[in-house]
Amino acid sequence: MKILELKNVNKIYDGSEVPVHAVRDVTLEFEEGEFAAIVGPSGSGKTTLLNLIGGLDMPTSGEIIIDGVNLAKLKPSQLIDFRLRNIGFVFQSYNLIPVLTARENVEFIMSLQKWPRKERDARTYELLKAVGLEERMNSRPSKLSGGQQQRVAVARALAPKPKFILADEPTANLDSKAASNLLEIMEKLNREEKITFIFSTHDPRVVKKARRVIALEDGRVFSDEKIQSVND
Amino acid sequence: MRDNFKIAWRNLWRNRRRTLITASSVFFAVFFAIIMRSYQLGTYDHMISNVIESYTGHLQIQHPEYQNNPQIDNSFDFNDSLFLLISNVENVVSVTPHLEFFALASNGPQTKGVAILGIDPAREKTFSNPENKLVRYRITDEALLEMTQSGTFPASVLKKLQENKDRSYSSRARLELELGLAITETEKYIPEIIRFCQVQNGFLNEDDNGILVSDRLARYLKAEIGDTIILIGQGYQGASAAGLFPVKGIIKMPAPDLDNRLIMMTIPAAQKFLDAPGKITSVSINLTDRSTRTIKKGLDRINKLMEGMGTTVKTWYELNPVLYQQIQGDSQSGMVMLGVLYFIIFFGIFGTVIMMVAERKKEFGVLISIGMQKTRLKRIISMEMAMLGLLGLAGGMLAAVPFILYFFYNPIVLKGDLGKMMEDMGWDAVMPAKWFGPYYYIQALIVVIMILLATLYPLRKINKLKEVEALRS
Repeated sequence: MKILELKNVNKIYDGSEVPVHAVRDVTLEFEEGEFAAIVGPSGSGKTTLLNLIGGLDMPTSGEIIIDGVNLAKLKPSQLIDFRLRNIGFVFQSYNLIPVLTARENVEFIMSLQKWPRKERDARTYELLKAVGLEERMNSRPSKLSGGQQQRVAVARALAPKPKFILADEPTANLDSKAASNLLEIMEKLNREEKITFIFSTHDPRVVKKARRVIALEDGRVFSDEKIQSVND
Repeated sequence: MRDNFKIAWRNLWRNRRRTLITASSVFFAVFFAIIMRSYQLGTYDHMISNVIESYTGHLQIQHPEYQNNPQIDNSFDFNDSLFLLISNVENVVSVTPHLEFFALASNGPQTKGVAILGIDPAREKTFSNPENKLVRYRITDEALLEMTQSGTFPASVLKKLQENKDRSYSSRARLELELGLAITETEKYIPEIIRFCQVQNGFLNEDDNGILVSDRLARYLKAEIGDTIILIGQGYQGASAAGLFPVKGIIKMPAPDLDNRLIMMTIPAAQKFLDAPGKITSVSINLTDRSTRTIKKGLDRINKLMEGMGTTVKTWYELNPVLYQQIQGDSQSGMVMLGVLYFIIFFGIFGTVIMMVAERKKEFGVLISIGMQKTRLKRIISMEMAMLGLLGLAGGMLAAVPFILYFFYNPIVLKGDLGKMMEDMGWDAVMPAKWFGPYYYIQALIVVIMILLATLYPLRKINKLKEVEALRS
């Protein structure tokens, strides 16, 4: 089932003296349950594309349609609400809320969505257990390692059962052990929860795990390759 | 709401030191503003109570020419029916006729120009109550010598008695206040001091021919109770007035200016002295309070009542413009100082807010990216700012309470040069704190306004925040 569609999307930054064409005429479709990597060298437009898909930025031209909704048609507050209900984010530098514990960070989006307390608690425990952090649920981010923080970030993104998760270079700040641990968790959750993962990466280990690899170069889709996984 | 509060509270303590410094700056600003204002207003109240409420009154009925030309010729007739009419006006608490004039007072070789106040002893009780001002204790050379020789008093108490030599007191409370002894010393030695310093005094009857002399004037004239004072002045319509008046009592006027020059006698005695039967120069009226509104209302009603009677009604600030202007000037300079203090504090708070916004721009971006509405984020930040202000505000207001309570009941008595300077200016050298009132609560309003103004900055920043730019910061 198609959940995300990009039609002739362009993004031009014209703030500087020379306009920068960050994303050029990108047309893509994503199905439910995909585990897709967007790859490309620095400056190729990976992060810009993810920001556009996530509704954090608006395309200069073209359309982004998520589950039948054209993001450009939404008012700013509707767009925030749409993100809350449909999209999970995992950032390169974790970006957990520093004043909340791991448990509270995971609960946070569910509380914004007004989930009942019981369901929230159960889901939080289930996810923290899934990422192997049930023992550290009452620790604040400052007491967790980078890898642990990123696992909490993944749990936070997954908690409200979004349509898909956007992860911008999720392993960039992690050592190899933490990175492979995180990838295993993401892969497992993708399989078990049937949630689409779209991530940008440089990391060959991440690319290796992906079942679809979209290569960008100078803002254009250079290649879009679906890989048959062992599990399929 | 609970989640918002939790996040706001925890955010507040993210940078504990900065929060404490900012809250402390609000605390000290509020604390000093309250204490300073309490002393200022307390001192004004004390002055007004001494000078206005015990002498001129909040309102005064006079002959239209009397203020510019205070002569007995500018007097008017007064009777009991007029007294009753004025007494029944709303908010009027006391009505007292006065016959005021100037004369030369002489006792032996000492002569001085004095102000003479003809009073109705019974009605005056509800106004300035001069009976309460009779000197009851005086620390004379003889009393000091006797106390030293008695061996009852330790050196510390004798030193304080020596410092207050030649001072007179109309009450035990005032004696205790000015001596400033420790609590244990007060309990132990005040009864003994009273025994040595007590003076006999008397008061006027309704138709008395005697006079009450203010303490400092009595000392200048070297007059004691039982002495006879010669008064010479100008009587009604150019008649000359002269008479001998026995001193019945010595009164301690709290305002030094009055204490230096006041003599009181009964109105009939004054009328006889001036050859002005039935005449008075003013009717002093005290109201329930001295707010502008009450004074204006009282003025209008009494003006209406006295229409066509050849009199005018004046407010206390018209009668004593010097005191009014002194109070206004001092009050305004005090407010300017407080304004400067709060201005500095505001920029301290604003600096904290600017730093906080700069540090947390990325976090704001993350929160909005993952689905927090800007209105909710603004609510959290506003709560955080309110808590920051409230910490300092509540602390400052609470910390000021014991000071106000203590100094309201135990006013500061200025001694030495400062005290003398105040007395020379005609003020009682006592600084009481003012009881809680609008000045106390207004500090909360000022801090709330400061916090609201400072909060506008992060709110505006959040409004204009673009998620992608914030995430990149």
